[in-house]
Amino acid sequence: MKIIDNQLSTPGDFLELLQRSGYSLPSNNLEKTNKLDSSELIHGTTVLAFHFESGVIVAGDRRATAGNSIMYEHCDKVIPIDDYSVMAIAGAPATAFEMARVLSHNFEYYRRSQLQPLSAEGKIRALSRLLKENVGMAMQGVGAVSPIFALYDQEKGKPSIHFYDLLGAEFQITTHTVTGSGSPVVKGVLEYEDMWGAKRLSERNREEAAELAMRLLHTAAHFDTATGKARPEDNIYPIISFITSEGYQFMDDDEIAVIFEKSMKRHINV
Amino acid sequence: MFDEPFRWTEAISARHGYVQEKLKKAYPVLAIPFNEGAFLMAIGPQSGKVYEVYDRIAMGAMGHPADIEKMRMTLLDMSHLEGFNRSVQDVVLGRLLQFGLAPALKQNFEEVMRAPYLVQMALVEVDGKGKAKFFRVNYDGHWETFTRGTVIGGDSKLTGFIEKQLKEIEFSTLPLEEALVKACKLWKEGMDKIESEENGIPGTMKKILEDWVLETAVLNYKTPRKSIVRALTDAEVDRLKVACEKL
Repeated sequence: MKIIDNQLSTPGDFLELLQRSGYSLPSNNLEKTNKLDSSELIHGTTVLAFHFESGVIVAGDRRATAGNSIMYEHCDKVIPIDDYSVMAIAGAPATAFEMARVLSHNFEYYRRSQLQPLSAEGKIRALSRLLKENVGMAMQGVGAVSPIFALYDQEKGKPSIHFYDLLGAEFQITTHTVTGSGSPVVKGVLEYEDMWGAKRLSERNREEAAELAMRLLHTAAHFDTATGKARPEDNIYPIISFITSEGYQFMDDDEIAVIFEKSMKRHINV
Repeated sequence: MFDEPFRWTEAISARHGYVQEKLKKAYPVLAIPFNEGAFLMAIGPQSGKVYEVYDRIAMGAMGHPADIEKMRMTLLDMSHLEGFNRSVQDVVLGRLLQFGLAPALKQNFEEVMRAPYLVQMALVEVDGKGKAKFFRVNYDGHWETFTRGTVIGGDSKLTGFIEKQLKEIEFSTLPLEEALVKACKLWKEGMDKIESEENGIPGTMKKILEDWVLETAVLNYKTPRKSIVRALTDAEVDRLKVACEKL
């Protein structure tokens, strides 16, 4: 291997390094694509995020489906990207996991090579760029991804939640968002809880936020076959993560089991 | 000039002398194990010696800043491409050196019409069980591995002394803070082996830590993050200064 002459036109850009090494991003050549039929988009999942007292909670179910078949019940749909950001994925898993891998290396490569972390805005735009590059695949109905990106902005000292459309447009959410096939079931409940619940979402503590996320995912799974329910007997629970000033933390299995048991208790005797 | 073997050998020998002379005044970098991993430590009037390379790899270097930067970027590019194309688990220092950096350095050094790299490196890698591996890479591509830690420095009296001490002190059983204090003591004792008018250190260890730059890369395998490399926090540096007061 030749020692590389590191005269980069965009210093610290991992995508450029990848392209120099022969890697190519999915083509966005629209001439060869079919017209998008949104009903054919694969999006069997429920992932959600909302602001709580100390940061942002991001949670997701564990089921992966192909058409009517359940393929996998251990899917990790909330993926750490760097110490201060996570991506929750809905859509084509192959593309989504690839995007997460590119992003993760992109942020870390930038931080290590430029000796400073990429700005929050830079991170948010990096995902936009990947989605834009993926438009061709999304338009063909085989590679659409609808992610939620949550991060802690170290410069401003606050967390934020972002969702994207298929073309890469980014929208910041100040309260809550949810995506995937189970999202219609959950979206209204989140809005109701924020407006008229016992506390606003942003006033709930870590445990209250986790309990609500657990109940919402359980409810989504009740109505949406592509969203997996928790299976305590097999030690399968939703993934729950938090982004705070200390970075990301994932709830461990023991804590999730306790939260699950507590959150599933009914308050009304039927 | 190079049509006779002797002249080529002479030219190589002259290059060794040239590089060693250039590196002679470099301040040392120590790579040391502790009970939960390993750390790199450099102390000097300027920063630019210790860097994170990948999730479980860090490098320390001495030499010309431009050459250190070339080595750093080469290691960064290789490790990130390997980690992306294969897996994080496949980013192994031995492979990066054997198939990447070392042959390139050797080739550069032996092309006598090109300027040699003025650089020497100490690298460390910690596996998932906390076992540390240490590497020392020379400007000519020669590299060695160590298990009890290693040192690079311009003065052979200093490095000889520290190497001997690394074989005697059981750093791998010590907690981080204790290992850091012992490493500072070792650094100071090593520097004292050099004539005081040449080493340029500003007095006691406390004074050195206050006036100079302390660069560290701590690799703790118990860190619940993807990347286990971090610098010492301000609070840890303050505690180290207090602990080093009597050195």
